[in-house]
Amino acid sequence: MPEISPNAIVEDTAALAGDVRVGPFSYVGPDVRIAPGCVIENNATVVGRTTLGAGTHVFPMAVVGAPPAGDAPAGECLLGEANAVREHVTIFAGTGRPTRIGNHNLIMIASQIGAGAQIGDHGIFDNCTQIGPGATIEDYVRMSGFASVGPEVGVGAYSFVAGYAGVKADAPPYAMLQGFPVRVRGVNSRNLKACGFGEDDIHALKGAFRELFNGRSSEVNRGAMKRMAGDGDLNPYVRKLVGAVAAALKKENATNE
Amino acid sequence: MSDVSVLREIDPAALIAPDAVVGPYCVVGPQVTIGPGTVLRRRVVITGHTSIGSANVFCEGCVLGSQPQDLKYAGGPTLLVIGHRNRFGRDVTAHIGTESGGYVTRIGDDNLLMDGCHVAHDCYLDDRVRLGRSVLLAGHIRVQTGAVIEDLSGLHHFVTIGRFARVGAHTPVRRDVPPFADFRSLDHDWSGPPSVRGPHEAGLRAAGLTPDEEKELRFVLRELFDDESALQTKIEQLVNMGVEGEAAALCEFCNRSLQGIYGRYRERFRGKVPPEAEKYLPPESGVDPRRPMR
Repeated sequence: MPEISPNAIVEDTAALAGDVRVGPFSYVGPDVRIAPGCVIENNATVVGRTTLGAGTHVFPMAVVGAPPAGDAPAGECLLGEANAVREHVTIFAGTGRPTRIGNHNLIMIASQIGAGAQIGDHGIFDNCTQIGPGATIEDYVRMSGFASVGPEVGVGAYSFVAGYAGVKADAPPYAMLQGFPVRVRGVNSRNLKACGFGEDDIHALKGAFRELFNGRSSEVNRGAMKRMAGDGDLNPYVRKLVGAVAAALKKENATNE
Repeated sequence: MSDVSVLREIDPAALIAPDAVVGPYCVVGPQVTIGPGTVLRRRVVITGHTSIGSANVFCEGCVLGSQPQDLKYAGGPTLLVIGHRNRFGRDVTAHIGTESGGYVTRIGDDNLLMDGCHVAHDCYLDDRVRLGRSVLLAGHIRVQTGAVIEDLSGLHHFVTIGRFARVGAHTPVRRDVPPFADFRSLDHDWSGPPSVRGPHEAGLRAAGLTPDEEKELRFVLRELFDDESALQTKIEQLVNMGVEGEAAALCEFCNRSLQGIYGRYRERFRGKVPPEAEKYLPPESGVDPRRPMR
């Protein structure tokens, strides 16, 4: 039997695994499914068509599956395994496509994740991070305090978004991103090392960033990009970077036209 | 404890002074100590090994003593120690310390923390500190007496804010802020990095300095920070001139920041117990970590 505080409200149709704990004054809505090993602490709210994967920890005052603003119908929100949803976090439920959060993410205090956002695995989102509706965050992304990602915007894997930065257009992977609007400041080599990238790969990426972004500018050097895309024996990570940059440019052109 | 019969959950093992008030929907954990006259308004959550002194006020939605947001925290019984007469706005969060970072998060006396502030693991707030709305303190930060940090500022790990200094609104702080300094960006589009922009006038008044001390302090701040080049040499010159009192303390502070890493003195305590933490126990001592209640 789940361990539910007598002061908590868990709707009858909610599906809770056997060892789930629900603290006092928390509310679990009727369409919620909670996998084994989850802890819902006190004063937390889980509503909407929400699924919490195994080992998810929801801290006090957090709201998971909140309906997006307006009179939208109850949306869908899918969380993977072993996520930590810290105090005062709000995760909105997607009404078109579901809000998806992968595994092993740490979502720190007072962050907000918009409706329909797609978040990968092993992300760390510092306090007061804002992720816009429909944004796509790939794996191993780190975001610092007060950083924000605009609606329908993507951030590539292994990137670092500095504090107060605002990502308004698709950002490349492996990058250090800083400023408002965001600029590419170099390779996130520290995170890459921690994630087990080899020295050769990091070196290749550093060279590619220097060529693509003209040192510290956010303008993409299109000539360098074309030349690298045509290069047969390009480092696979650099190939991924060039592909992501090309896709971002294409998307930008499409919205400008 | 408050005599109103309200819906709340207080662990029987918690030590709560008889005249402390615990409002509705509050949750108080078993290892918590709450001193006399402290008021917990609605849905305040206090867990962990947390001791709270007398006459504090916690507004709605505060969460204190939860586990740190730090991956090095191993689940030990680390502490959050809060002094007397502090005011906490709504949705303020403060976390317990980490084992390797000094074991304790400490908030002193007479502080004001406005809505949405966050005090992370192993921070030290001295006395009479004012934090504006949604000020984020990362881990291992020291904020000295009388410092003012305005709304929406974010502080990097291991930063020290000096006595009676001011950090302007919406300022990212990556290095130590010297005492009595006014630290901010010139504008809000960050065309330049934030830096010391002169003395903090209200801080100079609040510190109650003698006219001579104040004059010397203004002189030293101007000498050091009008143009920040060759700071080390200028500090040496000022010390050789024989500055005294607060001005000498300012030189000493800047010197220590320069000895640190990236202008952050407390980086030297990365992975060690900082000197302020020593009086709060070695955990192996077997002492009940709860402070005696007075």
